[in-house]
Amino acid sequence: MNRRKFLTLSVVTALSLPIAALATDYRMEKPTAWTAHTVDDAIKALYGDVKLVQSDAIILKMPKLASNGGAVPIGIKTDIKAKSVSLFQNANPESAVAVWSVPEDGIIDYGFKIKLKGGDNKSIKVTVIVEGLDGVFYTKSASVQVSSTTCEG
Amino acid sequence: MANMKIKAKEKDGIVKVKAKLTHEMMTYAAAQKKGREANFITHVVAKVDEKIIYELSSSQFISKDPILKFKFHGKKGEVLEITWTDMSGKKVAESKKIK
Repeated sequence: MNRRKFLTLSVVTALSLPIAALATDYRMEKPTAWTAHTVDDAIKALYGDVKLVQSDAIILKMPKLASNGGAVPIGIKTDIKAKSVSLFQNANPESAVAVWSVPEDGIIDYGFKIKLKGGDNKSIKVTVIVEGLDGVFYTKSASVQVSSTTCEG
Repeated sequence: MANMKIKAKEKDGIVKVKAKLTHEMMTYAAAQKKGREANFITHVVAKVDEKIIYELSSSQFISKDPILKFKFHGKKGEVLEITWTDMSGKKVAESKKIK
């Protein structure tokens, strides 16, 4: 290996390293976001003081009425090129539910089930925020009613 | 360890994944009632060939034995590796060949 080849190689390695380390554990990075008690506080702790733009490009799939608060199915889908996607709700003691960091060329089509503390037929608001690569924060909300009270899982 | 079930299937260059992680996902409230420590999955990463294709930082409010569904650009025959970490620091990894 000659010197030039070695130099090129080391530059390539140095460049590829940060990409591998691009993964973000939002629990380590923004610990306060997970203990915030309101949606607004949680968003502020996670992203800072940002302006949210309502967007119909985000599809938030969830039932209007859920019988079991221990497992409310949620589906999030969007074509927006994003850096991260996060989910909040206003029923549980803490607001943040999940944050995905979207890898390059990642497809945003996530599905899972969450716990929502229901009862009293109150309407629970679930909010999704998509942090676009263009620096705009897109948001979409939907409401759900949970009939039985359980947060036990 | 067989506490993760992964299904990964490719169609037209897109791999659909369904993964079931076995975990009790004990919330702070439930743990207090039962007099135990809260414990839940805090971080899930899925990789193909050391490239991250899915990453979730999660909270206590994901249901017990969470089933995660997601998609990514991939090919049949590649190996998908999912790793989760919980509050106690326990780490579990499982890999599966994409069908």
